[in-house]
Amino acid sequence: MTRTDTTGAAGAVEHRMQLADSVADFTARGTDLARVRRLRGSAAEYDRAVWKKMAELGWLGILVPESFGGLGLGLAEMAIVARGLARALIPEPLTATAVLAATALAAAENEALKRSQLPRLVAGDLLPSLAWQERAGELDPAAIETRATPFEGGFKVNGVKRFIAGAAQADAFLVSARAAAGAVLLWVPRETAGAHLELEPLADGRSFGSLRLDDALVPRSGVAASGSAAREALDRAFDYGCAINGAELAGVMDRALEMSLDYLRTRVQFGRPIGSFQALQHRAVDLHIHNELASAVLEESVAALDRDPVAAVRSALASRIKARCADAAARITREAIQFHGAIGFTDEFDAGLYLKRALVLTAWLGAASWHRRRYARLTHAGGSA
Amino acid sequence: MTDWNAMSDEDFRREVRAFFEREYPPQLRHILHRARWSEMKDWWRKLYEKGWIAPNWPRNRGGMALDAGKMVIYLEEMERHGVARPPDQGITQVGPLIMRFGTAAQQEHYLPRTLSGEYIWCQGYSEPNAGSDLAGLQTAAVLDGGHFVVNGQKIWTSLADDATHMYLLARTGKGAKKQQGISFLLVDLATPGITLRPIRNLAGHEEFCQVFFDDVRVPRENLVGEQDDGWTVAKALLGFERLSIGSPRRPGYAMNRLEAIARAKGLFDDAGFVDRFTALRLDLEDGATLYGRFVEQVKRGEPLGQDVSMLKVWTMETWQRLTELLIEAGAEQGVVAGVQDVAGVEADFLNPFYYARPATIYGGSSEIQRNILAKYVLKLPG
Repeated sequence: MTRTDTTGAAGAVEHRMQLADSVADFTARGTDLARVRRLRGSAAEYDRAVWKKMAELGWLGILVPESFGGLGLGLAEMAIVARGLARALIPEPLTATAVLAATALAAAENEALKRSQLPRLVAGDLLPSLAWQERAGELDPAAIETRATPFEGGFKVNGVKRFIAGAAQADAFLVSARAAAGAVLLWVPRETAGAHLELEPLADGRSFGSLRLDDALVPRSGVAASGSAAREALDRAFDYGCAINGAELAGVMDRALEMSLDYLRTRVQFGRPIGSFQALQHRAVDLHIHNELASAVLEESVAALDRDPVAAVRSALASRIKARCADAAARITREAIQFHGAIGFTDEFDAGLYLKRALVLTAWLGAASWHRRRYARLTHAGGSA
Repeated sequence: MTDWNAMSDEDFRREVRAFFEREYPPQLRHILHRARWSEMKDWWRKLYEKGWIAPNWPRNRGGMALDAGKMVIYLEEMERHGVARPPDQGITQVGPLIMRFGTAAQQEHYLPRTLSGEYIWCQGYSEPNAGSDLAGLQTAAVLDGGHFVVNGQKIWTSLADDATHMYLLARTGKGAKKQQGISFLLVDLATPGITLRPIRNLAGHEEFCQVFFDDVRVPRENLVGEQDDGWTVAKALLGFERLSIGSPRRPGYAMNRLEAIARAKGLFDDAGFVDRFTALRLDLEDGATLYGRFVEQVKRGEPLGQDVSMLKVWTMETWQRLTELLIEAGAEQGVVAGVQDVAGVEADFLNPFYYARPATIYGGSSEIQRNILAKYVLKLPG
């Protein structure tokens, strides 16, 4: 994909349709559920060759400015790619790397670091993960216990970062830590002495990384951002991550609902397709309505996010997406199991893959209920300030 | 005459809003009950004189000839200001049908009188044994010389006692399908043999009636469209109705009350309440986003498909849940009739709850809408 000059809204629509087509083409030829199953629970977790192809299509650089080798496009485009790829349940860490890490690094202050690393991220040669979280359920990027103490112009870092998506083959981590003057965002290559990575297996066959830092040294050149700039980079990355996580949930639910509807049309019991039974029809309709709601909210909200609103509005939009998409995906993937009956409970049948991906995506970056509470707080109504 | 469609959306919205704010009787804003003719006749007169009573009618018939996009703005501004619908089925329903299917004589006679408010219309579709299954209707119209002789009964007829005329569906024949053999008739309610029995609803108001027809002689020239083909006539109106009925503004008012009461009572300090409130608020806001998609479709001049049914299901069911939380928020006061004072905020708890009940029944019940979506949108087998 190259950045084509699009004139006006019609051009953008055209451009996005082409993008969706290229994603569909990629998922038809470049991946399948057999590959997804092979990689489940493996040490590799995802395929760097596939990752490289995604880079060649330009997708890893969608949110990276053109001056750093990216396309400088927006969340609207990234949502199209993420949604399309999530339909195929690809295990590659698009949101973790091309959204969370890329956004945080692009928003950082260290121009030399950005010049050296962002083009490599875009090219698929370097795969960084954002290591920002420390405690389960604590989603404030400023809640940091990991300490960064000054050392020879850089920092010596101690602490444990957890729930790092995409960590399995990550080449480097963007680590948030607390220094005397406030938050810092640090570039920690995987092989750094004192950095120990462990992987926790997830329901969907992927993993979260736990990164223990014991006197890990970060030179001055590895300080990506500090103070309010570090905070802003983390906040923006979190919000964009939530939005694209919502797009992934949308892709998962799209396909899970299609599978259910196909089954309702073809599975015969009592001499009739089970989709002719009103009890099942009405439940399918309700899921369709949730799917459409999620789709409408996702599209409207990413468009609003691309107009780069103030932080409170940005966060509210991200939470609105995550809350709706997580809720809809949970309903749709759970009902997919029920619609399919006993076969739905087997590992060999694909509905379970969708259920498990939805479970992981929902819990990662905040559950629907957490996002609804944040939305209430940010938009006042219902928020006790 | 102004070409409203040539105005920018913003200018048009401003003009409509200013007129409603200046002219609409304040005591009738955001009323919950179905507005009666006695309450609304002055407002009707005002709209008629301004040429605004029929936003959907063509200009040569005295309407505003609004295109779909401007029509949506007009309705949005009505809802925003809490402007009640007068008994306007002549304008929204039977007028357009007469224009499309009626004879020149019918158009000349009925349209100006409908516009001026001389004729007030009610709809005679439902029967005791033909609700959701409307095509099962049994009211008979038998041709006898120059007249149809009508026998049977209609029910759930909104504001029949305000109306001067009824448009009704009656069985004139039998076809292979039960939708065949139905005819569309215009009936003067002053015709001998018609008896009205008002029905009290859950809110304690008599807003609909049962209407009995006992050898009622309706002139043959009051037939609209072909004899036995009334189903085609009646069906011609759907779509847009499901869009306006699925508008998120109406539950928006209940949300506004709920928020005011919750604030006054300090309910936002209760995390459990905040969770439920915010979930409902997002259900409403996200529904508004979905509604916006259909509005854009209308504005682009594209016809609405059967998928618009999802709006009615979602909006009306959200509205109901909202009014349920409103009652709960009122605690003991939530079940006291009339307007209550809750820590300085005025609230009527019961009426919103009552009036949200039939919202999933009228205009095609939620179950019928789901049947439509299952069949035409999801293409599930019959």
